[in-house]
Amino acid sequence: MSQPDGDILDALRACQRGDQAGLRALYEREAPRMVGVAYRMLRRRALAEEAVHDTFVLVWRQAASFDPARGAARTWIYAILRNRSLNILRGETRTELVDDFEPMGLESEEEGPEGALMRLAESGRLRGCLERLEPDRRRAILLAYVRGLTHGELAGRFGVPLGTMKSWIRRSLLALRECLA
Amino acid sequence: MSAQGTPPTPDELDHLAAEHVLGLADPADEARARALMSADPAFRALVETWRARFAELDATAAPGAPSDALLERILASVAAAPEAEAAPHATVPEPPARTPAAAQPARPAPGPAPRPAPWFAGFWESLAFWRTAGFAASAAALVLAVGLAVTLPGGAPKPVFVAVLLTPDNQPAAVVNAFANGTAELIPLRSIEVPQGRALEVWTLQDRGRGPVSIGLLERARTVRLDLGRLPATGPDQLFEITLEPSAGSPIGRPTGPILMKGTTSAPL
Repeated sequence: MSQPDGDILDALRACQRGDQAGLRALYEREAPRMVGVAYRMLRRRALAEEAVHDTFVLVWRQAASFDPARGAARTWIYAILRNRSLNILRGETRTELVDDFEPMGLESEEEGPEGALMRLAESGRLRGCLERLEPDRRRAILLAYVRGLTHGELAGRFGVPLGTMKSWIRRSLLALRECLA
Repeated sequence: MSAQGTPPTPDELDHLAAEHVLGLADPADEARARALMSADPAFRALVETWRARFAELDATAAPGAPSDALLERILASVAAAPEAEAAPHATVPEPPARTPAAAQPARPAPGPAPRPAPWFAGFWESLAFWRTAGFAASAAALVLAVGLAVTLPGGAPKPVFVAVLLTPDNQPAAVVNAFANGTAELIPLRSIEVPQGRALEVWTLQDRGRGPVSIGLLERARTVRLDLGRLPATGPDQLFEITLEPSAGSPIGRPTGPILMKGTTSAPL
């Protein structure tokens, strides 16, 4: 991500001191994007806000355990958000979501996995490395990360056996690791 | 991942880290990844590296305008946090060890071999000699049942809704009885292994918008009154479930651990 981590780190430090101003600053800065990330997976505004709510509560309670030596503050927050969103997606509302999961054809290019790819910085390494993958395999990786699809759901979407999808993912991740190293 | 017993190769560990970050790890691998995250700094570093690789994608989400109330809700939850870890769960009343609770329903009239209620078990076993004198035991149980009946505050002893909670392999593991006066009880049917530092958290789901609500935290399977005080009356098809959580309860007020058992309510005939 291009924006500096400094403001987020300051906000986290305030949270560590029990200062709610830190949480407010974090909210002002990140909440809209966080709602967007959760919404891409959960497809429902109320659920996305629930995931964001839970994430802020967790950030507040676990701020003390955040160690900047291990990784970026923003990455830490979004990891919590993604975890919460995936838990909601896979646990609490699974059956409901399956009902209105829009078929692939109705998904706009803008919102779909290629849209996410296009919005990556053109000069960025991730985009360059993703573009080197075969299109279907790239889409599978993006759908997993951006939409939270499982191996089984990806296999269904692409009409390939589960084992094939698992090996697509495995090889794509190896290729990405090499490319990004 | 790797076959049971063989140590994972570096490539397998890296793949596990990547799948964890993508959200692609199956439940067993996900549990492994989480265990490694807390125990193995090298694995944590692999996860951090994968997170950083994909982090750019988070910035590609179209920002959504959060509703006006969201910040206030967050601040309210956070303000409640210091108490949230202890207080709500502490309100789950301990079942009386010796004296029957007022809300405890009357046992059915004892047959020839009445089974003691689980929370009586200690009491029962401490008076094990009763069991050796079968007739005396029945008589004693009869006295107990009568004692229960007279302490009921005139409420109907029959539950208005019953839920049988099943394990993932469909074995009955507990019963929830909800009574007309708004109280409910949980009666385990089997013991549950609770690892050190973990607890059983009881949840009910009335309203999908609100999500599951914690109604009890237990260190082991035992009969308890459930804390339904803040909820609307129990209805049909209401979900009850028990998840494995940290010993202080779920840190976020929603289930985070595996579901050990669940079931929905039905009205008894």
